[in-house]
Amino acid sequence: MLRICKTIIQIAILYGIYLIGNWIQHVLGLFIPGSVIGLIILFILLMTNVLNVAWIDKGAKFFVEHLTLFFIPATVGILNYFDVFSGKGFLLIIIVLISTVLVMSGSGFISQWIMRRKELKQHD
Amino acid sequence: MINILIGVAAIAGTLIIYLFSIKIHEKHNYTFTVPVIIATFVIVMVLVVFQIPYETYMLGGDWINHLLGPAVVALAYPLYQQRDVLKQLLFPVFCGTFIGAFVGVSTGILLAKWAGFDQLIIFSLAPKSVTTPVAMAITDAAGGATPLAAVFVMIAGIGGVLLSSTIMNYFKIDHYIGRGVGMGCASHAIGTATIMEESQLSGAVSTIAMVVSAVVVSIITPGLIVLWM
Repeated sequence: MLRICKTIIQIAILYGIYLIGNWIQHVLGLFIPGSVIGLIILFILLMTNVLNVAWIDKGAKFFVEHLTLFFIPATVGILNYFDVFSGKGFLLIIIVLISTVLVMSGSGFISQWIMRRKELKQHD
Repeated sequence: MINILIGVAAIAGTLIIYLFSIKIHEKHNYTFTVPVIIATFVIVMVLVVFQIPYETYMLGGDWINHLLGPAVVALAYPLYQQRDVLKQLLFPVFCGTFIGAFVGVSTGILLAKWAGFDQLIIFSLAPKSVTTPVAMAITDAAGGATPLAAVFVMIAGIGGVLLSSTIMNYFKIDHYIGRGVGMGCASHAIGTATIMEESQLSGAVSTIAMVVSAVVVSIITPGLIVLWM
C-alpha cells in the first residue's frame, strides 16, 4: 500500500515537471514539446543532485515499463487515417524504410569511427 | 453521467487489452507482436465491429493520453541510470546521434516531398526515428496527425530491427558503440530492446542514443521543416 502511495506521489512530481515544461514552452513560444523540455529539466535536476533520484524512481519506472499503454489511445486514432495507406500511400512505407537504413548506418558508422580513433590514441 | 460510464469502460477495456497483449508478446516473442501493435489492432477491431466512433472511445482514452506527457519526462530516468556510460562515451555517442537525427528528419521530409505527399503526411513522418510519445508531441507541434506519426514510428522500429543485421554487416558496424547508437537512433525502444539481448553495453548505449535522439530531433525538426519545405 505504501509503495502504491509513493508511486502515485512520484507520478504527481513528474506531472508537475511536465507542467513546468509546458509553461516554459508557452512563455518562450518554443516549438520543442513541453514534455521534452520537462525531460531535460528532470535530467539536469538529477545530475546536479537538486532532486534525489529516490523521489522519482518508482514513478519513473512505472512510466518507462508501461510506456506503451500511454500511447495506445492515440495510436487507435489510426482508424481515421486508413485511406492514407491505400494506393500511393504504399510508398510511405518504403520512404520510412530507406530513411531508417540511412539513419542506422550513418549514426552507427560515425560513432564507431570516432570511438576507434579514440581507442587507437589511447593505445599509442 | 453516461459519458463517465463510457469513459470508465474505455479505460478498463484499454487496460485489459494492454495486459492481454503483453501476455501474448511474452508467449510469442516476435518483433511484430510488440504490445502496441496487438493492443491497437484489437481495440480498432472492437471499435469497427461495434461501430463506435473514435471520439466516443476517447472519452476515456483521453485520460490515459494525459499521462503521455509525464511519461516522456520519465525518460530522463533511464538516461540518468546510464550516466557513467554517458560520461565515458559522450563525444562519439553525441556525434553519431546528431548525424542520425539530422539524416532521419531530412531524408524523411525530402523523400516524402519528392514523392508528392502533402504537408500533413510530411509533418507526421519527419520525427519517425524517435520513440512514439515524443514523435507524437513533435508532430502535434508541427501540425501533423499524431496517429500517423505513431504508425511511421512503428514501421521505423520494426523495419529497422528486421533489417539491422543486414545493415550492420554491410556497413561493417561491429563495435558495441556503433551497434548501440545505430539501433537507438533508428529504431528507438524496439531497437533498444533487441540490442539489449545481444549485449548489455550496446543496450546502455542504445538507451542513451534513443533519449538523446528524442531531444535532438525535437529541437531540430522545426528548423529542418522550414529549411527543406
